[in-house]
Amino acid sequence: MFFRNLTLFRFSPSLDLSDLESRLATAALKPVGPMELSSRGFIPPFGRDSEGFSHQVGKAVWLSVGSEERLLPGAVVNDLLQKKLAELERKEGRRPGGRTRKRLKEDLVQELLPRAFVRPGRTDAILDLGHGVLAVDTASRRQAEHVVGALRDALGSFPALPLNAEVAPRAVLTGWIAGDPLPEGVVLGDECELRDAADKGAVVKCQRQELAGEEIGKHLESGKQVARLALTLDDHVSFVLGEDLVLRKFRILDGAADALESTEREDLRAELDARFTLMAGELERLFSVLEPALRLSKVEA
Amino acid sequence: MQRFRSIERDSVELALSDGRTVLVTRVRDPRARRLKLCVDERGARLTMPPRASAVSGKRFLDDNREWLAMQLARYATGSVLPLRPGATEALPLRAQLLPLRWSEGRYTRLHRDDDGLVFTITARAGEATLSRALRDFYEGEARADLGRWLPRYLATLPRPPRRVRFKVMSSQWGSLAPDDSVALDLSLVLARPSAFEYVLVHELCHLLQPDHSRAFWREVEDRFPGWRDERDWFHVHGRQVKATLRTLLG
Repeated sequence: MFFRNLTLFRFSPSLDLSDLESRLATAALKPVGPMELSSRGFIPPFGRDSEGFSHQVGKAVWLSVGSEERLLPGAVVNDLLQKKLAELERKEGRRPGGRTRKRLKEDLVQELLPRAFVRPGRTDAILDLGHGVLAVDTASRRQAEHVVGALRDALGSFPALPLNAEVAPRAVLTGWIAGDPLPEGVVLGDECELRDAADKGAVVKCQRQELAGEEIGKHLESGKQVARLALTLDDHVSFVLGEDLVLRKFRILDGAADALESTEREDLRAELDARFTLMAGELERLFSVLEPALRLSKVEA
Repeated sequence: MQRFRSIERDSVELALSDGRTVLVTRVRDPRARRLKLCVDERGARLTMPPRASAVSGKRFLDDNREWLAMQLARYATGSVLPLRPGATEALPLRAQLLPLRWSEGRYTRLHRDDDGLVFTITARAGEATLSRALRDFYEGEARADLGRWLPRYLATLPRPPRRVRFKVMSSQWGSLAPDDSVALDLSLVLARPSAFEYVLVHELCHLLQPDHSRAFWREVEDRFPGWRDERDWFHVHGRQVKATLRTLLG
């Protein structure tokens, strides 16, 4: 269950989430109906057949939003529509009008939808009740907002805001690569993206590159700024932090994962529980480092 | 077939009665039906129909010289001049002028310390780099204000804004999009803080009432009773604030 990307939101830690489990149950995923395009709702984080819509360890709550989406490619509909239109034209001797085309298309969609494949999906999230942080396992803002929206629908109110950095993240990342002191435990990775200050200016993407070297220094001197930067924390996690405050390529490193492998567990649930505990611990530590470094606003009145 | 004519732009100099010379942008617009002279924070603009002669444009400018001088004075940025590396000695922030020092470093950035502002620049930093650093600094400061104010109002809103973006807006101070995203003018960080907070409250109240009805103003009044003072402040100083940011960002 290790997350690969992290899109973060903040909410007030004083928010009452005592009836979270029952609220999530009322917004559980319903199978997508034969005439529906998609369906979204909460699923048990340990798998659809298991029990409980949330799993809490300490101040971390694991929840999962499942989705079912019918796959009906536009090209398939249009191809069949063209065939039907051609047949109609041959029969009637004239090209069908716009209204007929629209009706035919709607009929086709109704005919094809129940036969379309259903693609299941899931997006995991962790609520850190201590910091008041929601971490969603996606780099897509839209998908992350769907999870926040699902929580809002389930809870009635969930005033979560995207991260608000009180200092330009670009300036902080550029400072780190230029030699400003990094937060304790953080070291530079080997990947970065530099962008020219001008709109539509040059973009330099580096991978497997020594970031503290002279080559990068030349780019900084010409005015480029860091838009994405690979970092490692405590030799436990590595990630690429973007100026949009999304953490991509998030990976638990061997240093942290070793603790998992040293103990034998009986079943899958225990294994997933151990992984979640590790993930939640690393996330809590990571946020406590990023919060002061990027001056992330709290959401408390 | 109708020939497509594009908008053509050039500029002409005009001597004002006080001896100053101003540059007027002359725009030939195929959609223009008459001569039009307008002034905003970008300067004076004369719009002309494609067939109007240059002489008629010049005569129109001469006839409206006094009006133009008066309007330009309204947009005057006072002592604020475009940002000049090593020369600019102060920068506006929250209706104050903060002293600015310049230094050389490995990368370009603007930050605050106990004595004011410090602009660190590299030897090869161009105008775009300075402008970006200034913009980033102002956005950071604006977000600091936002982080302080926004949580106070969240409890009484049906939903929080999806996100808040800062943009350089030409005439508006803020807007709320149908997807609940709030956009705020970056120049608000140069205005007095209470005026900035009022604009934020105004946009947040649109989450309750998507119009400017009486019900909307009641919501504003409940949260920000002094909103009329702030609106008046914008009427007097608003244009100047916008012009200042535009001048500084270049």
